[in-house]
Amino acid sequence: MDEERSLEGWTPEPSAELPLPRIIDLAFDYRGNTTVVKRDGTEVHGYIFNRSAEAPEPFIQMFDTDGAGPITIRYAEIRTVGFTGRDTAAGNSYAAWLERRKQEKAGKAPGGRAHDDHASSRR
Amino acid sequence: MGVPVSQMWAVASYVLTQRLRGRARYPLVLMLEPLFRCNLACAGCGKIQYPPQILKKHLTVEQCLHAVEECGAPIVSIPGGEPLMYPEIGRLVEELVRRRKYVYLCTNALLLEEKLAAGVFTPSKYLSFSVHMDGLREEHDEAVCREGVYDRAVAAIREALRRGFRVTTNTTLFDGVSPLRVREFFDEMMDLGVEGMMLSPGYSYSKAPDQEHFLRRAKTHELFSRILSNATRRWRFNQSPLFLQFLMGKRDYECTPWGNPTYNMFGWQRPCYLLQEGYAESFQELLETTRWEHYGRKSGNPKCQDCMVHCGFEPTAVNETFTTWKGFRDTVRATVSGRL
Repeated sequence: MDEERSLEGWTPEPSAELPLPRIIDLAFDYRGNTTVVKRDGTEVHGYIFNRSAEAPEPFIQMFDTDGAGPITIRYAEIRTVGFTGRDTAAGNSYAAWLERRKQEKAGKAPGGRAHDDHASSRR
Repeated sequence: MGVPVSQMWAVASYVLTQRLRGRARYPLVLMLEPLFRCNLACAGCGKIQYPPQILKKHLTVEQCLHAVEECGAPIVSIPGGEPLMYPEIGRLVEELVRRRKYVYLCTNALLLEEKLAAGVFTPSKYLSFSVHMDGLREEHDEAVCREGVYDRAVAAIREALRRGFRVTTNTTLFDGVSPLRVREFFDEMMDLGVEGMMLSPGYSYSKAPDQEHFLRRAKTHELFSRILSNATRRWRFNQSPLFLQFLMGKRDYECTPWGNPTYNMFGWQRPCYLLQEGYAESFQELLETTRWEHYGRKSGNPKCQDCMVHCGFEPTAVNETFTTWKGFRDTVRATVSGRL
């Protein structure tokens, strides 16, 4: 898949062309929070960090948006998965950084940010 | 070469013990990631791209120690994230040293002087700060996407050495680096007085944003040959000389993906430090249920074709040293002569 093209905001409907296991694979690769829509109509919001399609009962594992977990959900319980959270990988390519840096040096964008060494650089 | 004899002996006796026990797969270095949080946002790093609730989380010391016991590797490397942001890094290191594990604390060194001044760490032959340095000032600051980091790291290295700590450097070399500048960088690190340097070519994590920037295998051979040919005797490397010869194209190795297993808040990462294809709950489960035949160059897996990264190939080199006479002889020869 195109590394720069984000799935953010997409909630696919499973189909013959895009079966649920494929949607789950995409959600597993997604670097943002997702919404797992269950067959009973309930939703679980959080980050999917693991999936096993080969287990006797295929499952996903996730941490919810408060960081609680791991929460295990069987494929059989899932209707679909929405890419509802911000894609933390989008726009963070090396090429994008080089372009920003070039603009900063040319004075077209603000530079010289102050940094707090105790703070995470991605919030 | 820059690996202390006591550490070489610990690794040698561990490898021979595993062989005598008939273990087909055994780990050499545990990659222990207590957190993903970092105070830098390097463009090539996929490790920090997580939602906020994940970046706020971290393992407990007890979870870390359980993983260390479970794995049994003689060396524990603590990358991350930035491990000096881990609130219990002092206690974790103390516990690992007490267990006689050789610890490589991989840090960008931005917080190192502060932690040293606070007395968080005690010098030990088991503890080495492995400071991330991707080249001279200009190259390093560019790689970490922030100016001034190189100078801060150099100051921290000086301070750590002054206090009697072991200090090594770890360097990832990306496509387009100047061999001449890298050689100047080696000289500068030796002038600083670091114990040894560790090198690895870059690789595209399957989720890394910088797919195009990383080295391909043929380019890697050429680059490392140009860098390491006619190596000066004063350069010390804190890694297997056979691995360096592999990078130069003088040896052909297959990957040992279980050699440097990775443990983090998600569990035991399959199959290796670079690829994230799922997680196992225990180390035993990782060993027994990962389809190892699907990985490595011979498998045909396209993700493995260009990889020459240390976490897969250095274990192969170390195993050759301690399990074959030729490997042992070649290692001794390169160590004594300083020639690769």
